[in-house]
Parts: sequence; C-alpha cells; structure tokens
Amino acid sequence: MVSIKLRNVTKRFGRVVAVDKISLDILDSEFFALLGPSGSGKSTILYLIAGIYKPTSGRIYFDQQDITDLPPKERNIGLVFQNWALYPHMKVYDNIAFPLRLKRLSEDNIYRKVVEVAKMLRINHLLDRYPWQLSGGQQQRVAIARALVKEPLVLLLDEPLSNLDALLRVSVRTELKRLQKSLGITTVYVTHDQAEALAMADRIAVINEGRVLQVGSPEEVYGKPSCRFVGGFLGNPPMNFIEASIERGREGVYLVINMDKVSVPKQYTNILSKLEIDRVVIGFRPEDIVIEKQCSPRDFCLHGEVYAVEPLGREYIVTIAIGEHMVKALTPRGQVFNVGEKVCVCPYSEKTILFDTKTEKSLEQLLVEKHGL
Amino acid sequence: MLYKLNNFFHKLYRFEALFFLIPALIIVFLFFILPVILSVYISFTPLKNWNIGKYLGEIVGFNNYYRFFYMIQHDPGTRSVFLTTIVFIAVTLTINVLGGLFLALATFFVYEKASAFIRTLWLLPRMAPIAVYSLVWYYFFHASRIGTLNSILLSIGLIDKPIDIGQKIIPWGPWSIIIFVNGLVGVSFGMIVFTSAINNIPKELVIAARVDGATNWQISRRILIPLMKWHILYVTTWQLLSLLTTYAHIFLLVKWNLVHRDYGTTWSLYIYNAAFTGTFDQGLAAAAGVILVVIGGVLGWITLKILGFDRMITRPRGDI
Amino acid sequence: MSLKDVEVRGRKIEAVLLLAIILASTPLIIGFSLLTLSSFSKHMVTNFDPNSFKFTLINWVRFLEGRMAITGGVRISVINIILNTLIVALGVAFVTTLIGTLAGYAISRMNFRYRKQLLLLLLLLHAFPGSVLIVGVYLIYIVTMPSNPEFIRYYSLFYVVIARAALEVPMAIWLMKGFFDLVPWEIEWAAIVDGASRIKVWWKVMLPLVKPGIAAIMLFGFLAGWQDLIYVRTFLQERTLATFIEANLEAEYSHMPLLAAVATFYLLPTIVFFVTSQKLLLKVTLAGVKR
Repeated sequence: MVSIKLRNVTKRFGRVVAVDKISLDILDSEFFALLGPSGSGKSTILYLIAGIYKPTSGRIYFDQQDITDLPPKERNIGLVFQNWALYPHMKVYDNIAFPLRLKRLSEDNIYRKVVEVAKMLRINHLLDRYPWQLSGGQQQRVAIARALVKEPLVLLLDEPLSNLDALLRVSVRTELKRLQKSLGITTVYVTHDQAEALAMADRIAVINEGRVLQVGSPEEVYGKPSCRFVGGFLGNPPMNFIEASIERGREGVYLVINMDKVSVPKQYTNILSKLEIDRVVIGFRPEDIVIEKQCSPRDFCLHGEVYAVEPLGREYIVTIAIGEHMVKALTPRGQVFNVGEKVCVCPYSEKTILFDTKTEKSLEQLLVEKHGL
Repeated sequence: MLYKLNNFFHKLYRFEALFFLIPALIIVFLFFILPVILSVYISFTPLKNWNIGKYLGEIVGFNNYYRFFYMIQHDPGTRSVFLTTIVFIAVTLTINVLGGLFLALATFFVYEKASAFIRTLWLLPRMAPIAVYSLVWYYFFHASRIGTLNSILLSIGLIDKPIDIGQKIIPWGPWSIIIFVNGLVGVSFGMIVFTSAINNIPKELVIAARVDGATNWQISRRILIPLMKWHILYVTTWQLLSLLTTYAHIFLLVKWNLVHRDYGTTWSLYIYNAAFTGTFDQGLAAAAGVILVVIGGVLGWITLKILGFDRMITRPRGDI
Repeated sequence: MSLKDVEVRGRKIEAVLLLAIILASTPLIIGFSLLTLSSFSKHMVTNFDPNSFKFTLINWVRFLEGRMAITGGVRISVINIILNTLIVALGVAFVTTLIGTLAGYAISRMNFRYRKQLLLLLLLLHAFPGSVLIVGVYLIYIVTMPSNPEFIRYYSLFYVVIARAALEVPMAIWLMKGFFDLVPWEIEWAAIVDGASRIKVWWKVMLPLVKPGIAAIMLFGFLAGWQDLIYVRTFLQERTLATFIEANLEAEYSHMPLLAAVATFYLLPTIVFFVTSQKLLLKVTLAGVKR
C-alpha cells in the first residue's frame, strides 16, 4: 500500500499532447478516481502510472521511490483492462494463477492464493471454466482476481464497468467499493461516468484535455466546482448556466438577467468587491430549485415559461425557458406544471455558484489565484 | 407454369456461374487434369525420347513400376534419391516452421522499422528469379578459393584448404546445401502467416502479461504460441506438401555440378531429369511420378481433414 | 490503445534478438550483395579478397550493347532475351488475373453445385507435384504443335504463358475469393436491384472494390512469369534471362562478371516490387490467411 505522486508529468504522442504537465498526489489506501470525457487523457495517466507509457517528461513516485524508469512488472501493480484481457486459451484458474506462476511460486502456494482470491470475489466455483463460458460480470471478477492475486501495492482499473449492462453496473459498483475498503489497497479508477466516480471514490480528479481541473472529495467537486466544466460535468441532469451582468449600485450589488434583477448571493458580496468583473455565469443545480407560480421581487428568482415536462416516476424534470436559456429543474411528484405556463424559477441562493465569463473559473478560484492563496 | 418459370431461372442462374467459371475450368482441365491422365497413361508405356509415334501406342503394363522399384533396391543412385528426399523433407520442414516462427516472434518484439526491413529481406529467396538465386548459392558454396563460404572458413582458420561441400562430403554436404537453399525459401511463408496471426492477437493480452511480469520468452511460450496453434498446423502441412513437390530451386545446383547428383536430387527432381534430361525415359519418369502423386494425395487429404477444411468453407448468402 | 507492447521495458533483450536475426540473415545479405558487386568489377568478387574487386562499368556497358562474350565476337541480342522474359511475365500476369477475378467472383458470390468440391480441387491442385504434371503438359505440347515452323515460335510462347499461368490460377482464385468475400453483400444486391446484369456488376461494382487483390495477383503473376526457369527451358525455343544464365555459367566463352550483371538486372523487378509494395503484401496475406 503506497502513495502515488505525479510531478509535472507530460505525455506526447507525436504532436499530440495527451497529458499536459500534471501533478497529482494520491494517498495511501485511497480510492482515487480519474474522471473525464473521452479523450481527456485519463486512461493515459493510468497507463503512465502502470508503466505501459513512458512520460515524455516528469517523474512518478511510489512513496519516496522514483519509479519512472521501472518496467511494469517491477512496480508490483494490478491492472484491470476495460475489456478484461483474459487469456482465452487458459482456464479461469490458470488465468488467475498466471502472475504467480511467472514468479515461480510452488503449486501448493499458488493454489492457496488463487482459491483465496477467488472466494473473495465469489468465483471459486468457476475456476475450471474457460473465459468464453462466463458472463460479462463473471469475466470481470476474474480480471480483478488476476490483478489482486499477486497482492500488488496499487490497483489500477480502466473503466471496468463500461462493458456491463446498466443494472449490473450499479450492484458491482457497491461491491467494488466494499472490496477496496476491506483490502485497503491504493486504487486508481478511470471512468467517464460521473455517478460512478461520485459513488465510489474518496477523492476525484476531474480531467479534461490532458489537464487536471480540480481534485477533491465528491462533496467538494459536486458542491464547490472550481470551474464551469467541473460544474457542468458532475451531476445529472447537469448544472444550469445563465449569463448575467453585474450592476453595482449604492444599495448593493445586483445580477441582471434580461428583465430580472436580483441581489447577488450573500457569499459573493465580499468576493465581488475584490474582483473587477462585470459579467458572470450563474450556475445552479436542478435539484436546488424551487418553482413558484408568482415571483416576489425580494427573492432570488427569475421569470420563465415552461417548455417541457418529463415525468420520471420518482420526480419530474421540468425544462423552463428563461429568455434564451433553457433551464432544467427537478420537482417532486406532487407538483404539476403545464407547458406554456409562466413560472418563477428560484434557485437556493446559498447553493448558487458564480463563474467568470472569460476564464470560466469560479469566482472563489479566481480570487485564490489572484492572491496566490 | 410457375414450375417452368422456376426452371428457366434456375438454368439461367447456372449459366451465369458457368460464364465466370469456364476460363478457369478449361485451364484447369487442360493443364492439370488432362496432363495427369496422360502422365498416368505414359507410365504404362515404354515412352522414350519423346518418340510418341513409336511408343505411345504400346502398353507394357506395370513394367515401368517394376523397373522403378528394382532400381530403388539395386541402383545406389536411385536409392540415394529416395533417402535424400526423406531427409530433405524432414529437416527442411523443421527449419521452415521453426525459422518462420522465430522470425515472426523476434520481429514482433523488436523495433518496428527494423522488423519491416527484416521481413522484406526474407522474402527475397521466394521472390528472386530462380536462376539468380541459384547463381548466388553457386558462388557461395563453390568448391574452390572463390567460394564465399570457403573464403570465410579459410580466413578464420577453420580449414586450411578449400573444401568441396557439395561433391565430397557425402551425404551431408549436398544435403546441407539443398536443405539450406530450400530452407531459406520456405521460411518466408511461415514468417508471413505467423506475423499475420500475431497481429490478430489483441495486444491487451501482451500488455496484461507484461504487467504480470512475463518476459519475451514467457509471453511467446504461454500466450502467443498457444493462440497460433491453427496457423502452426496450417504452415506445417502446407510446407510438407510443397517440399514434396518442389524441384526448381535445386535443379540448377545439380546441373551445374555444385552438388553430388544422387545426394542432391529429390524425388521430384528425379522425375523431371529422367523425363527431360539424361536418359529421356518418360515411361519410368511417369511411373515414379504417379507414385509420388499418390503419396502426395494421401498426405493432402489427411492435411485437409486435420485442418478442418469443411469448417473453412461457408455458403454464400442470399439466393441470387 | 493502439500500442504494440509496453513502452517501459528492458531493451537489452531486443538488442540481442536483433543481433540474432541479423546473424541469421547474413548469408542472404552477403550472397546477393556480392553478386551485385561483382557486376561492377573486372573479376568476380565472391570471396572477401579485396584484390579481386576492380571497379568497372564495362560489364554493364557490354550487357546493354549485347556483347555477351569477350572473345569470339559472339553477339547475342540482349534485347530479345529481355523481351522474351517480359512477354512471358506480362502474359502470365494477364491470364492469371483474368481467370482469377472471374472464377474468384463466381465462387465467392454464387451458389452452384459442386462449389465446395471445386474449392477442394483447387486446394489440392496447388499441392500437385509439378514435375509429374509437366510430363503430361509436354505431351500435349508436342501433340498440338503446329507443323509450320514459322508458327512454332509463337505457339511455344503462347503455350508457355498459359501453362505457367495455370500453375498460379488455383492460388489466384483462392486469393480473389478472399477479397470478394470482404465486400459487403448489400452493395451487390443494390446493383442487381438497380437492374445490372451479373457481368456488369462484376465489371463496374466488384472489380473496383477489390483493387488491392487485383494488384496483388498481377504482381505475383508477373513475378511468377518473370522468375520462371523450368517451364521456359522445357517449352520455349527462345532464350529468356533464366535460360541464358543457365547456359552461360562457366561456358568457355563467357565472362562471369558479365553474367553477374545479367543476374543483377534480372533481379531488379523483384527489388522494385519490394520497395513499392510493403502495404500490399500485408493486405494480401491478411485476406488469404483468414481463420
């Protein structure tokens, strides 16, 4: 069980920069998720940690040891591929035993370890079968068993759930999280599914275009996104964004959106006094909205018209047009809205986040960077 | 009425296929089937010197066959041809399969650019004109100072005067030369097939094995080779049949006296030489040939059964 | 991941492997290089005696002039020899391609009786002992030979081309079948529904889609005809480059480096083929060796 450090790691493929000077600190025994869209470079980071790719520049450390030049087999890692990469010509037992046989352990020793890991993953009754005889979920557990059997320092997983059907994914998610906690092994998990990352990880690094945008606990990246991309990537339905201009008057600071003029949320008055910006993007989540029939001018509310209603059983998704913007809100089962109805959209002001229009960073982040905090 | 229409289209359809197939069918008949029948017929005649007017009408039963067997038993020259053929096929086959496998695996583990060059280089024996190829090895194994091999051995002091490998070191001298010459040609076939087989293996398996700690040899032995079993079988059986029938690449070596005639001649070459050079005894050549065909046919049939030929052929889709 | 292998790994083994490969390739490299070198030298350079190499272009000059002997003033027309070789090569390429594309299409796309047996036959033919075959082929040759000596020349050329092409036809059909198999059925159905006859479909739709296959067959056919020795020596009265080399090895009046020049020239198309068709080779082998 080790900590992993990446220091200014860059990876280039020809002219393409897949990973751009990233530094990460992954703690010992942590479940760390690399979250990002396709092509963001998250798998590349994983394979750099594994030693499958060699960094163009930068160093990688396990605890204090610089492992940048060590081949994969000497890093003692377990790797689970997206498509599992099980050896089709070997039985499940031999697939799992393979790394141990390479280390030349005695057959008794191997048998013990394989059975132990198989029991832990509940596939001990499948040891005599071939991979093509197993279901997707079972094959995945074999892949995990093979990774764990050599008791590695680090477990690396590359989108392991994406080849499973939706229902199976949810149950496997839970099991994986429990497994990791009981083993206490440092785990790096690559996924493009934000729900997966939120559900499983201790901390998440949100990656886009080869850069780390934010690292934090699920609550942090969800509730306090440091930039618009992070805000919009986490959460389903995604965060709503509306452009507004700032009006500073004697009574206070206001946000102006079309016809509406609302007071800036309390948590931002101080920040705004230190920053000289006059345009922002307001971000608020669909579940942080109350929809009123009437707008009272003192509340943080915007006028809009209902565009569409989607009943989801547990709740409704109501799409509301505010000026040119489309905003989605989650409403409980009881409330009914009709298309075309004029309503008032009132986000919880304390949950609202303001982003700088130009840099797309949150105002908090902008302040931190400005003052070098 | 419907039945007649159906029939008509059926005939039309068959006609279509025939149009496309006729050139192939004609050429196959004229240059494979008919000659085989004729060769078999010739084996029962005393045809010599291509004097068809005189001999072609005469049937002498199994005379030529008896003569051939007699010669195998009593003529040391013919007997050595027989022995040469067996050794030649056994050793060359091994070299071809193992060599092709080695090259395919080695080029897989080595830098891509070097690999491409190596694979191209090893196609040269198969693709070069036969006369040029023979000329190259003629000078390489030449029995005097000008022979390349001789000069190498002389300069490193292994021998003190040039040796005549092809004519004097019986039988392994000529055997080594013809095995070497044909071995180089055959290696390329295996190399191509095995390389394509390796390319079809998902690379994640190799990477997973690396992560698990495998070396090149372990990856080859435990992952790559087991997944190439069908291809190895295919190359082995195909090469076996090829080696049984090949003769062009050693024809000139024998003619130019680079190798001892009896130990440098395989069954296949023996047939050609008997019919077109030397004694011009076509009857005997044909008899020896028919026996070879039978052996080749049996081996070929076994090959197809082992390779599962039936499963390789799928029906075309649609009924048009 | 389009990676072939892990990037961080020991390179020492690779160096050893590369060395082993190079070692194994040494006779090949030495043999062919020395031959080519000899064509530029006054004497044959086949051992490593540096004295024997005296650079000269005279061999090539003589070769192109057609003076294939130093003494005796024997003049052999090189042009004719090269032309004959070319005719055979082009003829074989043409015949093989034509038959291969026609039959390959039918076997791939049409269902007819004995289809399976035909494929089986083609496979077996490839394994047929050529030396037995040639006896029968020669018999047919002399039986059908025209009596007019004027025509014999043309007849033998014609016969050699078709007989040699016949040897390549089974492989060509299998190869083309493989390529035709890869074309989606829907494209063909669309053409037939649009009203095209089979022949039109073949000519206008299918052939353009299997261009790599056609290129491969033409190339292999050409090389087969170009490199052939046995059939041209058995049937042809004319000389080709192959029989020329055969006849002139250490003949009294021939000068060996000249022969080396002829051989190097003879080798050129093969080399050209290599340099220009790496990718083609790959495509061909992939289509042919399908599991």
